Amino acid sequence: MRFQIPEHELMGPGHVACPGCGAAQAMRYVLKALGEKTIVVLPACCWSIIAGPFPYSSLQVPLYHTAFETAGAAASGIKAGLEIQGDTDTTVLAWAGDGGTFDIGIQALSGAAERNDDILYVCYDNEAYMNTGIQRSSATPWGAWTTTTPVRHFKNRPKKDIMMVMAAHKIPYAATATVAFPDDLVAKVQKAKTIHGTRFLHILSPCPPGWKIPSEIAIRLARLAIETKIFPLYEIENGEKYTITRQPDGVPVIEYLKFQGRFKHLTKSQMDDIQDMVEKEWENLLSKTERSH
Amino acid sequence: MKKRKYPKDEIITFKSANEMPPLAVSLGSMRWNKTGSWRYIRPIYENKTPPCDEACPAGEDVEGVQYLCEQGKFEDAWKLILEEHPFPGVQGRVCYHPCEEACNRGHYDEAISIHAVERFVGDYGLNHGLIPPRLSQERGHKKSEKIAIIGAGPAGLVCAYHLARMGYTPLVLEAHPVPGGILRVGIPSYRLPKDILEAEIEHIIKMGVDIQTDSRVDRDLLLKDLKDFNAIYVATGAHESRNLNVPGEDASGVMSGLQFLIDLNLGKKIAIGKKVAVIGGGNTAMDTARSVLRLGSEVVVVYRRSRAEMPAIPAEVEEAEHEGIPIHFLATPIRVITDQERVVQMECVKMELGEPDESGRRRPVPVEGSNFIMDVETVFTAIGESPQLSFLTEDIQTEWGSIVVSDHGETSKKGIFAGGDAVDQPRTVAHAIGSGKVAAIAIDTFLRGKDTAKIAASVQIGQKGSVSMERYLRGEIRYNASKVVRFEDINLAYFEHKDRVDLPRADIEKAKQSFVEVNSGLPESAVTTESGRCFNCGVCNMCENCWVFCPDISISRKTDAFGYDIDYDHCKGCGICVEECPREAMSLEEEQK
Repeated sequence: MRFQIPEHELMGPGHVACPGCGAAQAMRYVLKALGEKTIVVLPACCWSIIAGPFPYSSLQVPLYHTAFETAGAAASGIKAGLEIQGDTDTTVLAWAGDGGTFDIGIQALSGAAERNDDILYVCYDNEAYMNTGIQRSSATPWGAWTTTTPVRHFKNRPKKDIMMVMAAHKIPYAATATVAFPDDLVAKVQKAKTIHGTRFLHILSPCPPGWKIPSEIAIRLARLAIETKIFPLYEIENGEKYTITRQPDGVPVIEYLKFQGRFKHLTKSQMDDIQDMVEKEWENLLSKTERSH
Repeated sequence: MKKRKYPKDEIITFKSANEMPPLAVSLGSMRWNKTGSWRYIRPIYENKTPPCDEACPAGEDVEGVQYLCEQGKFEDAWKLILEEHPFPGVQGRVCYHPCEEACNRGHYDEAISIHAVERFVGDYGLNHGLIPPRLSQERGHKKSEKIAIIGAGPAGLVCAYHLARMGYTPLVLEAHPVPGGILRVGIPSYRLPKDILEAEIEHIIKMGVDIQTDSRVDRDLLLKDLKDFNAIYVATGAHESRNLNVPGEDASGVMSGLQFLIDLNLGKKIAIGKKVAVIGGGNTAMDTARSVLRLGSEVVVVYRRSRAEMPAIPAEVEEAEHEGIPIHFLATPIRVITDQERVVQMECVKMELGEPDESGRRRPVPVEGSNFIMDVETVFTAIGESPQLSFLTEDIQTEWGSIVVSDHGETSKKGIFAGGDAVDQPRTVAHAIGSGKVAAIAIDTFLRGKDTAKIAASVQIGQKGSVSMERYLRGEIRYNASKVVRFEDINLAYFEHKDRVDLPRADIEKAKQSFVEVNSGLPESAVTTESGRCFNCGVCNMCENCWVFCPDISISRKTDAFGYDIDYDHCKGCGICVEECPREAMSLEEEQK
């Protein structure tokens, strides 16, 4: 099996992502898929740092730093500016972390999506506020340790279903992806590029320091997230049509959890609870898929 | 504001506010930031030994052959085998293929059909009239030393082939009227057609090897005619059948199975009875029984142990049974009953398996009172063969009927080397080929006054004694590590389950009536599919995973050669490339401080 990702690099070395960073890989693939005519809009997130300090940038496309809660609004504005200038083929890419998407930036995102502004919004989800020191976000999964949900009070609420939130906006395209399946990721970005309106991509991005994993297994974990059905790969078109893009092998969730320090404290029965939650969510997804075809 | 050019990939310094842009805008890349300094382990490309290569006694680059076949480069694949030995067509038919046993894919679904692929490649070479790869003028220049090789079997011919490539002109002396040794006179043509063998031997002759047939070497000849040879390689095989040591064994109608095969293969007329028993469980026994069947007689094999202990290649046993030959397990003859000095019956006793003996197999013990009588007209003995060594001088040490040799094929007498079935090693063609290569290296290093042991160690493949002639002759390092890739080292996420392609089954009713080759080969499309299943354990095939998954854009394809470069200025040492390499062709090294 060989991957078929585009050759051209729009991101260079020397960036300051941690070793094994999934967010760095995600940016590389997305830019490869979008090409040169892209403007990146970046609210506060890991990538605000990764790209490099003034007067440098590790990207070869324009990159606009903006405030934490504004990715959706800033992207909408930049797109409007481009259109006024007669530029219709540049993709405006809002690139936000899970904090800037699920929590702090959700109003701007919801506004843009409701207006169906012509932007591609990518949430690279490392499941906590990693850049500021691993604080819980509403994307942090049930059972995980973070510095604000210490082991004795680990997070006891499920991860927010951002895909359902986005589907509720009836946007033309929403999809999940991860860095362990670059072909799937690139295909989804390329598909999104051909669609007008708000497009949303939810990319699971392993974070070695935040997940407390050795950097070399980052890709393996992203793969296991899919194969355990914890993070299924699918698309939602027009808020209704669900398509699963990869059938998971159905590996038990413990195979995913056991490698990660952030789940180390979980008991067997708590892991079983996670397995039950995962099965329930998967059934939900399956029935939505069946209903929409 | 003054317009100023900023360096693109270097640190930018502003000497005054005037040099700064009016907005906080990027002016250069981050390339100046040498994130390589974060690294405490470094990834390296390091090919390792695939288990098939280690398991091949003939030292073939099995993985390399699969890699080339997958791309349809059959000529290159043929030449790659010819770097190691000149017999792909032969080995693709008669090898017991331990490579398939060792194949890591066997732990996943099924091993690659390496044996069938080799046969295709061998036939491809012959059908396309390919010629063996030549060495450089420098490596293969003419050399004047005289080398005699006694025995034109696989060991002797392989040794001669390599010595000829190196520029020597070895003289091969063969006792039989035709070269090939056991390949020619032992193995029946339904397993190995004569034209395949002859064509491959022709390659060796064309390289300048002089093969003198009908030249049995005795002690006189050894002492006189071969006196002024600089090196002698003894590869006379093992052609003496062991005796049954039972009463009546001298009767007419009791014969050596191997002698029968030799006579048959040399086209002599052999009279055999209508009811035949073959005693033994090795390849000679199987070949004898299947040949008898083809001559139209009824045949039964009598073997004193059980199926699990049979030394024959399992596929041969299976084919014999498939052809309808009954095998009487756990029985042994104790008396040959004669009538007017002719065999009429054989008395056997049933056996049971006791404690393991020195061979590790369970020792058969007779069951008292279990005697039974079989009606037979001919009895073939095939319970093992030993070398005939009476021509050797006393200064060449022997032990248990075999010539004693070092790991490099050196006998106790300087300048005399030995290999193949005449020394104590497994009696397979693959081992004979391997020992011929080892001897060729030892003879060359001996004649050139080099350190044999040191050089032999540097051309080892894995840990089981196989050597790479390609590495010896071309100095190309196929595997830069003695590490052998295990199944656990393979990243299975990158391989899909796929059925193995096997050789098509022959029409048995037709096959057992003649000496025409039983099995047909694989078609070309099946070969490319099959070799495409190969994991390519330990050998980079530029699958691009390292390049695809590098978060630091620090891996690039080499522009002028095969493989990748790592930008150690920026590689942070995350290790993802090594982990995601499907085939363990990369390693992590601790960073030197």
